[in-house]
Amino acid sequence: MKNDSDDPRPTRPAQTYTAFDEPSDRIGVEHAADAFPGSPGMLFKQAMAQTRMSICLTDPHLDDNPIVFANRAFRELTGYEDSELIGRNCRFLQGPKTDPAPVAAMREAIANEDVVIVEMLNYRKDGSTFWNALHLGPIYDEDGKLAYFFGSQWDVTDLRVARAEEQHARMMARELSHRMKNMFAVISGIVNVTGRMRGVQREAAEINDRIQALGRAYETTLDDAASGTIEIGNAIHAILDPYGRKGAPLELRGNGARVPFSVVSIVGLVLHELAANATKYGAWINETGSVTVDWNSPAPDETLVIEWRERGGPPIDPGSIAAGTGSAIVDRILRTASGTIERNWDPKGFEAIVSIPLRG
Amino acid sequence: MAETHTILLVDDEPLILMDLEMAAEDRSLGYLSAPSVERALALIETGDPAIDLAVLDFTLLHGTDCLPIARRLQQLGIPFIVHSGDLDRSEKGLGDLDAVLVQKPAHSDKVIAAALVEMKASGDRPRPLAAS
Repeated sequence: MKNDSDDPRPTRPAQTYTAFDEPSDRIGVEHAADAFPGSPGMLFKQAMAQTRMSICLTDPHLDDNPIVFANRAFRELTGYEDSELIGRNCRFLQGPKTDPAPVAAMREAIANEDVVIVEMLNYRKDGSTFWNALHLGPIYDEDGKLAYFFGSQWDVTDLRVARAEEQHARMMARELSHRMKNMFAVISGIVNVTGRMRGVQREAAEINDRIQALGRAYETTLDDAASGTIEIGNAIHAILDPYGRKGAPLELRGNGARVPFSVVSIVGLVLHELAANATKYGAWINETGSVTVDWNSPAPDETLVIEWRERGGPPIDPGSIAAGTGSAIVDRILRTASGTIERNWDPKGFEAIVSIPLRG
Repeated sequence: MAETHTILLVDDEPLILMDLEMAAEDRSLGYLSAPSVERALALIETGDPAIDLAVLDFTLLHGTDCLPIARRLQQLGIPFIVHSGDLDRSEKGLGDLDAVLVQKPAHSDKVIAAALVEMKASGDRPRPLAAS
């Protein structure tokens, strides 16, 4: 606040309040009606009475800095009547479980005429407790002398519960993610060990690739598992990223689509097979090939459409692709979800359009 | 390959350990396996056979982690990688150890391959001074 000619108020320390109009006859500071047109005193009284922000003023010039004014919201929050409040120091709101640290911070702020915001457990008249986010600061009069302390109380009990729940949920999600990855690692171990013992390492490796693609897809869903829908783009990135890392050019175009959780495994397995085929027969055989994946943003009762497009790979030999186990698995799993795959062996490169209906 | 290297494998999950052992065999590596910090440190101190590289699971049984093993290996200048399903915790826990992390689940062969890459890279670097 600048002290220029239009502003009669003296310069104040930052973040302090200037005295406003008297909330009641008890408060005797005269004040120039500078800010409001009309009747500032009345405006103030109405605002004080109507605001849902609990407010009180204390007078540091009286013995033990007692409350000299409390608005209706303050009385409703604490359960005390004016006659029980006025003349008492605010500490009567504290109780056995109130942490002394914020109380000390408050005391220090009062001693230094500072502004402070603390959270403390307070007690109502009936003995019940609430978490009070208390904003406290000095109010100066016309001459820059300390007149009052202003306190605004906000019941943040619900907010604290929500905060704690959110933190708990985050912790659980992290633990779940850790355990899930470990479980996938153990399953991988079982498949590999069994494969080696039976002399079917190649088959085991193929099964493992599928398991791991699924694991990656599921991993991305943990954060919003509670909401029932997931951002499919995150799962698509996770499924295909390992192929991209090998240096295989990959462009993912879709963005932001949210779909029901139930389609994750289908999308995971289908994209894994398409990627595996591209690595074995398609665009990812050579250095020049690339794959573009695009998907739509369907409404809850519409169809998720994923377009897979390979370019720049070797000439296509449909015979070598069509008969693979991968294709059979894709067809079967899509059939279970009433989905379809349209394969197109374009001379420019293999293309597939995968459609998965999302039932509401 | 003229000489055979010995790899230390640490994981509290027997099936993962077994899988890693087989993958190490496939690459003609000798291996030593340990499910716990104590066992791993004992194997390192015995030094017979001498350990050339290691794969460490970050989170181990009963709230322990691989940090004591990692620090000891670093003191001895033995290269290692960390194999973990909890990248958050391991990244924080490893702090300035600057270790290569391989995320679980990964193919056992890729884990062993990553360890071999790390061994080669560390051979190209000057060995760190023993911690004072």
